[in-house]
Amino acid sequence: LADLLNLCTSQQLSFVHQFVSPLLKKDPFTSLPDELCLRILSFIDDPKVLARASQVSRRWRDLLSDDMTWKNLCVKHDYQRRLSEVHPSMQLLPVIRPEIFPISHQDGAPTSHSYPGAIPQLPSITPGSLSLDGSSSAITTSRPRVKSYKSHFKQRYLVDAAWRTGGHNITRNITQDGGVVTSLHLTSKYIIVALDNAKIHVFDTEGNAQRTLQGHVMGVWAMVPWEDILVSGGCDRDVRVWDLKTGACLHTLRGHTSTVRCLKMSDANTAISGSRDTTLRVWDIRTGLCKNVLVGHQASVRCLEIKGDIVVSGSYDTTAKVWSISEGRCLHTLQGHYSQIYAIAFDGYRVATGSLDTSVRIWNAATGECQAVLQGHTSLVGQLQMRGGTLVTGGSDGSVRVWSLERFCPIHRLAAHDNSVTSLQFDDTRVVSGGSDGRVKVWDLKTGHLVRELITQGEAVWRVAFEEEKCVAMALKNSRTVMEVWSFSPPDEVLY
Amino acid sequence: MSDSKGKASQKVTLASNDGSHIEVDRVVAERSMLIKNLIEDLGDDAIATAPIPIPNVNDPVLRKVVEWCDHHRGDSLQSNEEENDNRKKTTDIEEWDQKFMQVDQEMLFEIILAANFLDIKALLDVGCKTVANMIKGKSPEEIRKTFNITNDFTPEEEEQIRRENEWAEDR
Repeated sequence: LADLLNLCTSQQLSFVHQFVSPLLKKDPFTSLPDELCLRILSFIDDPKVLARASQVSRRWRDLLSDDMTWKNLCVKHDYQRRLSEVHPSMQLLPVIRPEIFPISHQDGAPTSHSYPGAIPQLPSITPGSLSLDGSSSAITTSRPRVKSYKSHFKQRYLVDAAWRTGGHNITRNITQDGGVVTSLHLTSKYIIVALDNAKIHVFDTEGNAQRTLQGHVMGVWAMVPWEDILVSGGCDRDVRVWDLKTGACLHTLRGHTSTVRCLKMSDANTAISGSRDTTLRVWDIRTGLCKNVLVGHQASVRCLEIKGDIVVSGSYDTTAKVWSISEGRCLHTLQGHYSQIYAIAFDGYRVATGSLDTSVRIWNAATGECQAVLQGHTSLVGQLQMRGGTLVTGGSDGSVRVWSLERFCPIHRLAAHDNSVTSLQFDDTRVVSGGSDGRVKVWDLKTGHLVRELITQGEAVWRVAFEEEKCVAMALKNSRTVMEVWSFSPPDEVLY
Repeated sequence: MSDSKGKASQKVTLASNDGSHIEVDRVVAERSMLIKNLIEDLGDDAIATAPIPIPNVNDPVLRKVVEWCDHHRGDSLQSNEEENDNRKKTTDIEEWDQKFMQVDQEMLFEIILAANFLDIKALLDVGCKTVANMIKGKSPEEIRKTFNITNDFTPEEEEQIRRENEWAEDR
C-alpha cells in the first residue's frame, strides 16, 4: 500500500486524504459506553459548549439530557448548595418558622388583653390568617420548585449572568431633601427603609410603596423585621413594634433613657435593644414587657448580635460582652480593643468585633479568649459580616477585606471606595459594598475581582442589601434620597 | 519489605487478546489498578511463570498503554482530593500526554476503553480530556465534522433544540 501511495500525484493523494479522513473519524459517543461519555462531558464546564453539543445529533442530545452532567456543572459552579438546602440566609432574612405563631398566640391571647393597644390588631394575628397569608405569599413570591439539575443550572446561570452584565432596575425618590438612611432591610416580602427624619418606609420587594410607619418623633437608628413584624428604635428612646401589613404600631416599649442604637430579634417574640444609656433591654414584643435589662457596659452599646440564647454586644467602652438571654447575665467581657467597638458579628461560636482602633478581633464566645487580631485596615472598621469560615470587613479607609477564619489571614484586599465603606454584605458568590463615594460595587468573593458597578453614581450610598436575585441600594443623588431596586431574575418564559 | 527492592526490577508479561506478549517492569504494569490487584491475588510466583491475560485489549493498544505507563512510572498515585482538583482544571494536559494522544480517533477511543478496563485513572482522564477539548469551542456542525457524525434531527427538531439551548449562548 505504501508503494502504491508513493506512486500517486499530490492531486491523487489529496483525493485519498479526503476519502480516508472521514473514515478515520468516529463518533465518541457511539464508540464508548454511556459511563465514559458522561465522564468526557464532566470535563466541560462551559454550559455553552454543552448546549451546542446537545444540538449535534439525537444520541448527543440524549446524553446531554443526563442530569448527572448538569449536576456536575452545578457543583463546579457552586450552584449545588442552593438546590439541596434553603440557605441560612443573611441576618436580613429571618428564617420562616410558621409553627411559632400558633404557639405564641395561644400563650399570648389571655395576656394581650391587658394591653389595650394590642387588641385592635388581634384579628390580623390570628393563627389562621397568618398561616394562610404565609402560604399564599410563599406561592406567589417563590417560583415553582425547579425539578431537574439542568433547569436549576439554567436558572442559576441566568441569574449569575444578569448579576454580571444584565438585570433591570427602578429608582424611587424617598425624600425631596437629603435625609440619612440609617437602616435598610430586604426580606422575602418587604423592603424597609428607616431614616433619621423619624420615618420608616415600607415597600414591596418590587419597590412599590406600601405604607409609611409614623410614630417615632426623632431619627430612627435601628430596626429589625421578623415576618410581618418590625421592631424599631431611635433618638426618642422608644422601641416600637409595628405590624407591617397594616402599618399599625402594636406597642411602644419604654425604658431606655437614651438613643436606641441597635436592635435584633432572637425569636418571633423577643427583641433585644442596645442603647446609648449603656444597657441592653430584652423585650417580649408580644406582651410589650421588658423581660430583662442587661447592665454592665460603661458606655453606649453600639452593636449587637444574637444566636440562640446568647447575645453579644459591642460598646464604645472598648469591650464586647457575651450575655445569656435567659439568665440575664454577662458570661464574658471581651477586652482588648483600644478604642470604641462599632461592629460585631457572631456565628454561635466566634465573635468578630470591628473597632475605631482599626483592628478586627476574633473571640471564642464560649471562653471569652481573643483568638486573633486581624490588622490591615487603616481606619475605623464599621462593617462586618461572618459566614462560614469567611469574614468580610469594611472600613472608613474605603477598603473591603476578605479574611479566612480558619487561618486568620487576609484572602483579598479590595480597594473598594474612595471614602468610607458605608455598607456591605456577602454570600457564597459575591460581596456587595456601598461607599460614601456614591458607588455600589459587586465583587467576586472567590477571586476578589470587581464584577461591576451597580448604580449610577450619586453623592453617597447609605445602605445596600441583596439576596440571590435582588439588590437594593439607598443613595443620595442630586441632594435627594433615592432607592434603587435591581432585579436579576430571568423572565419566567425563559425558564419554562 | 524485603521484596520492595526486587519489585523494582521484577518483570511481568502481559498477554493481549490477539496473542502477543509484552514484557514490562512490574511497577509499570501496576499503574493499572486491575493488574496490581491481580498480582496481589495471584502472588509473585504465579506472575513469574505465566503471562497475565488482558482479554479486552489488542496488541497496538496495549503497547500504547504500556508506553504511557512507562513514561508515568514515577508519578505518585493521586489521592481522591487531588483527583477532584485536577478534574476542575479541565483543559490542562501536560505536553508529553498531548503528543501521546495525537493518534487517530479509533485509537484514542480504544485507549480510553483500555484505561477504563485496566483501571488507570490518570490515563482515562487524559483521554477524556482530549475528547472534551475536541468538542470545546465548536459549533454543532463543526463537532459533526470533527467526528463524522450525521445530523439525524428533522429541521423542526433542530429548530426546537436550538431554541431550548439559546440561553447558554453569549449574552
